[in-house]
Amino acid sequence: MGAWGTLVLAAESGPHLPSVEDFLPPEILFEGTPFAINRIILVRLIATAVLLAVMVVTAYRAKVVPGRWQSAVEWVLEFIRDNIVYQIMGELRGRRYVPMITTLFLTIFVFNLCGVIPGMNIAATATITMPLVFAIWTFCQYWIAGIREKGLGPFLKEELFPAGVPWPIYIILTPIQLLELVLIRPLSLTIRLFANMIAGHLLLATCLAFTQFYIVESADKILALPGCLWLVGGLIFTLFEMFVAALQAYVFAILSTAYINQSYPENE
Amino acid sequence: MKPLAEGGIDLFLPETYDIVWSLVILVVIAAVFYKVVLPRFQKVFDERSARIEGGIAKAEQARKEADEAKRKYEERLSTARVEASKIRDDARAEASHIIADARSRAETDAAQITANAQRSIESQQQQALVSLKGEVGTLATALAGKILGAKLEDGAVQASMIDQMIADMDGDGDGK
Amino acid sequence: MDIITLAEVAGNISILGYGLAALGPGIGLGIVVGKALEGTARQPEVAGRLQTLMLIGAALIELLGLLGFVAFVMVAL
Repeated sequence: MGAWGTLVLAAESGPHLPSVEDFLPPEILFEGTPFAINRIILVRLIATAVLLAVMVVTAYRAKVVPGRWQSAVEWVLEFIRDNIVYQIMGELRGRRYVPMITTLFLTIFVFNLCGVIPGMNIAATATITMPLVFAIWTFCQYWIAGIREKGLGPFLKEELFPAGVPWPIYIILTPIQLLELVLIRPLSLTIRLFANMIAGHLLLATCLAFTQFYIVESADKILALPGCLWLVGGLIFTLFEMFVAALQAYVFAILSTAYINQSYPENE
Repeated sequence: MKPLAEGGIDLFLPETYDIVWSLVILVVIAAVFYKVVLPRFQKVFDERSARIEGGIAKAEQARKEADEAKRKYEERLSTARVEASKIRDDARAEASHIIADARSRAETDAAQITANAQRSIESQQQQALVSLKGEVGTLATALAGKILGAKLEDGAVQASMIDQMIADMDGDGDGK
Repeated sequence: MDIITLAEVAGNISILGYGLAALGPGIGLGIVVGKALEGTARQPEVAGRLQTLMLIGAALIELLGLLGFVAFVMVAL
């Protein structure tokens, strides 16, 4: 609880505003080794355990006639399959990528939700590495798909020298396309997710820090009024963050699908 | 907002342990999803669609059977109907036959009765004629005798005798 | 920061920079969403497809705003 953990210490000086330090918490286990664990990684491990436990239990208990919870999980799985993968890629070529996109979507969604769960209060995707790893997976998939479907040469030619463009344009276009292919796509996926999580945490933590400061710590009781406003803001942003968690998972999944789909030949 | 120590850039520089854990977590989640969770759900989906298809096939089968039964029933119904109408026609024909028979028999009977009656009337007429003939002769003779007898005695007696005779005849006629 | 210094203008000019960086994407998002709505109103039968495309476009535009935010975080925090 980055924002709250040191709040008591800073109580005298003013509201403890969230800072970059929230995203760079100190290591608490196995310090100095490549397996060091800090707060965010702990949150991530817990989220992973919960996600896997829930999904595995649901999967093992799955019946042909679903109960309420199973229906909900199935609705999500079918939403990912039909509304994300099949809608963009079509059923034939999309089938191969359904497990990947499902994994991405659910993992990102659950990790994002950690940002509003009391006690965790920081998204498990709130270090750049996690989104980066997701993005690299997508990156590998669309390169592999391109090379497999077209061969390396034709794939690069099609991506770097799009047909129907007069040749002088290539001087500008080709470097941009190359940059897009190797750098912009994975980095944009990473930064979109990461920055959203940072922004969400900063907003929420700021609201709650001011609430705490004005209502609890401030000697002047008249300041409780703006404190309440901050609290309302905190509530609204909590709901908004839940929405953003789902939206970002959706966007990440849909962009991954779209990128992979672009590696396939235009018409089959 | 107090300016913090420079360090914002640190956010964008991945730590080694962070990379390690991210990879481990992603690999674990992906492995479990690929190997366990999704295949099981897929199995359930397949089973469900198989069930639904089986249900549809069963319903189709049932429909076919019902159609067959209905066809048989209708067939039987139509044969029954044909049979019934045949029976009815037969009955009607028989009835008309019977009626015609009865009528012809009645006509014969009637003709016979009429002939008998005719015959008995004729015989009675004959009989009446015969008996009348005999009686008229007797009467005429008697009348003639009486007329002749009375004429001898008196003109007034003659007239009364004639009257009496006529009355006798009437009485005879009535008596007959 | 107590009640007296509440009105003090303090902070970093990069906040302004971020505000400016949010302008363009804001306009762009408005156009994207508006056009998607127009298209949906005209052809409601392709609403699902339009929505997907709109979200892809919106995500690409959103990135520009987030880049501004990232620059702000790098410098200011």
